[in-house]
This record gives sequence, C-alpha cells and structure tokens, in this order.
Amino acid sequence: MTTETIYNAVGEAIRIEAGRILSDGTVTAVVGYAAARRNGSAQPVVITKPDDAARLIFSAACVNNLAVYLTKAKKELPREGRIGIVVKGCDLKALVGLLGESQLKREELYIIGVPCAGVLGSTLQPSVELDAESIADKCRECDDRMPQGSDFVPLVELPEQPALDKKYAAEIARLEALTPAERWAYWQQQFSKCIKCYACRQVCPFCFCEQCLCDRNKPQMVEGTPRPAGNTAWHIVRAMHLAGRCAGCAECERVCPMDIPLNLLNRKMARELKELFQSEAGFEVREKGPLATFSETDDESFIK
Amino acid sequence: MQHTKQKHAFEPKIIAFVCTWCTYAGADLAGTSRMQYPANVRVVKFPCTGRIDPVFILKAFQQGADGVLVSGCHPGDCHYMAGNFHARRRFAAFRKLLEFIGVDLKRLQFSWVSAAEAGKWVEVVTELTERVRALGPMQEFKALALEEQWSGKLDTAELQEAYEAI
Repeated sequence: MTTETIYNAVGEAIRIEAGRILSDGTVTAVVGYAAARRNGSAQPVVITKPDDAARLIFSAACVNNLAVYLTKAKKELPREGRIGIVVKGCDLKALVGLLGESQLKREELYIIGVPCAGVLGSTLQPSVELDAESIADKCRECDDRMPQGSDFVPLVELPEQPALDKKYAAEIARLEALTPAERWAYWQQQFSKCIKCYACRQVCPFCFCEQCLCDRNKPQMVEGTPRPAGNTAWHIVRAMHLAGRCAGCAECERVCPMDIPLNLLNRKMARELKELFQSEAGFEVREKGPLATFSETDDESFIK
Repeated sequence: MQHTKQKHAFEPKIIAFVCTWCTYAGADLAGTSRMQYPANVRVVKFPCTGRIDPVFILKAFQQGADGVLVSGCHPGDCHYMAGNFHARRRFAAFRKLLEFIGVDLKRLQFSWVSAAEAGKWVEVVTELTERVRALGPMQEFKALALEEQWSGKLDTAELQEAYEAI
C-alpha cells in the first residue's frame, strides 16, 4: 500500500469519526485539515456542523501543527464543550506538553490521533508524492509515528519506516566539531537573515505568553529591531524558553521565510536536556518539565 | 602595608550577578576583612540566583562585559529553599546553548560562595579576571551591539562631507 492510499483511508476514518462526535454532541468543534484551493494542498479548518465533517481530509500536505489553535489562536473555537483535534505524533507531543503546563484540560479534548508516515518538507508543490526526497526533515528522524493516548486512532497499517539519513543529527554533529569562532560565524550568518517577523513565535504552540518578554520595553531585554544584536538575542531567548518543552514539530523552521534552521537549536537543546536530566517530550504528561523542577543530585561540575 | 597595583594593558569588565543572602554577604565580608581582589568586578545584587534570567547574561555581554560571574548560595542553603537548584539546571542548559551558538564558555563562571567564604570570593573573582584578561576583550556581542547603533562605515566620504559642512 502506498502512503497515499493509507492517508486516504485515514481521511475517511477522520470524516466518519468527526461526523459522529459532532452529531452526538461529544464535541462542539473539530479542528482538522481541509482541502485548500491549490490542487493537493491542505489548510487548517474548524468545523462545528456534522455536515461539514465531509470537508476533512488527511494527506502528506497536512503539515500544520493544529495544537496552536487550542492556545493563542483559539478565537474561532466555541467557548464551551469539548474540542476534537486531529494530531500527528509530533503534534500530540505538543498537546501533551500543553496539558503538562496546565494550558489545556484533557477532559476538554477529544484527540483524533493520526498514524503518520511523514509529511512533505515543503508545500510549494503540495501534490508531489511523499518519498525520501520530499519528506520533511523532522520526519526523517521521527520515532513517534503512532500517537499514543488518543481517543480515536484510525485502524491502518503503516509501512515499515525507511531508514533515511538523519539531517538534524548530522548537522548538529558537524557544528559541534567546529571551533567556537566558526560556530559563532555560522550562527551570525543565519541570524543575520532574520527579519523579526516572529512567524516562529506565532506558530509555536508553546509561545503562549500574553506578553512576550521580547516585546517588552521597560526594561527592554531584547531589541525589537531586525538588527544583529536583537536577532541574536531573540534566537537565543527563543531556544532557551523552549528548552525542555519543544515537542519537535519543527513548525518554526517550516514557517521561517528566511530559512533559518531554527529546529536545529531546538533539537540540540532537547538532546542536551535528555542527556543532563533524562527528560524529553513524549506522550506521557509530565507534571513538570526538566527546567521547572530539580534534583538535589544534579550535575554541578561546571560550578566552582 | 602598601598594596601596589600592577599596570595591565587590558582591564576586563567583569559583571557579577550575585544573590543577596550568600555571595553578596561573602563579598561584603571580603571587603570588611580588607581582602584585596580585582576592582574589575561589578557586583549586581539579586534576591536569589533563581531570579537571574539567562537574558541578563546576554545583556551584560552586549553592554560590554568581557566576563560574567553568577554566584549564589551553596545547594541546600538557599534562603528560598530551592532557588539555586532551579538556577543550577537553568544554567547547565544555558551553557550548552551558548556553547552551541559559539560563545567561549571560559568567560562565563558559576560558583557557590557562602556568606562566610570571603576567601573563596576573592579566589573566584581573581581567577576569572585573570582568565578573561588572558583571553582579551569579548568582541562578539559588543560588535553586534555597535552594529545595532550604526551598521555603516564610519569613515565614508559622505559622512566626512556632512561633518565638514557642520
């Protein structure tokens, strides 16, 4: 079976389930994907009527992490009742993170988990077939293709995960082998591209602060202008605030109009925190993330 | 006893973020005990190391610090029970991030100095100052901050002309 037939079966199962939970009143809305105007493309959609469930689809072009619609982009959601949401493995990890941070309540969600064989790296040509070339970088090293702890998972069999070269792991290893000055030059070159559009912040499910530290100007901790000092500070602060929380959905990197490898910083921090504190984003709700708690036996070899 | 000050070509600026309960008192004790330590260090007092946000360290580097010291109570001695435990984790992670970005970690020092350890304070500050002195000025963040103000060349013909026209 090709990925396309599997995804079509997944889409069919989502349509039936969404129709069922909307008509029997389990949920007041379902956040999912619908076909967009270009052939093969998909866009996020919120449906509230059982009849609209027929609009839902799932395909390799369903790249968005819909978890963001449950936090700051929730304006279109009804205020009452449970919300159904379609999630891939990485999106579910973001949802689980939000549950752990008390941003959402599990009983207010109806999670439709999608067995995912990967999505496209770029939606410029949304109808292109999913293969080793077109697959997103995050999916090349994905360990969580089957979402766990969902309320509903379509019954499909995923094909064996092909062994693809891990781009993030390779790039992190390459950078780690450089000297600090070379790494500084590399990141300065990347950060200098930043135009401070804050698309990375806007799309991140974990950037839910009412007022971002980086928007404050009394005192101003991070310069708001798209200039070198502010850019560098913004990207360091962003990586630091996501350390131990980031679910690895790589939405920040996907939406970046200047192609800054943002997920590289996130992956590096996730790896370091796993090594230091044995804590990583997963399907189990963590009461506290690695930087929100402590152990008396933490490593302090770097402290005099 | 006359203290003779050695002349150096480069005097580094060291910013010390310290907690008020232990290290600040320790530094105070060093002062009242008339212990000598480099005047390069600028002490900024915080209620607790747990209050010290990594962004303060960035800001210090941007504003011209050549080295940063973060110091507080020994684990278990925190006035607020667990502030320094949280800080320990946060800075362990932040160090890794800075290292990946390409900052020389020799310029960043963390330490536990209690209110009674005036000697240790002198030792930590002296060691960091001498280490940073050997490394020379921290250029990376300063250059960024300068560029933030003005990214053009300072010696262009247009600027010179404008200057002469004043």
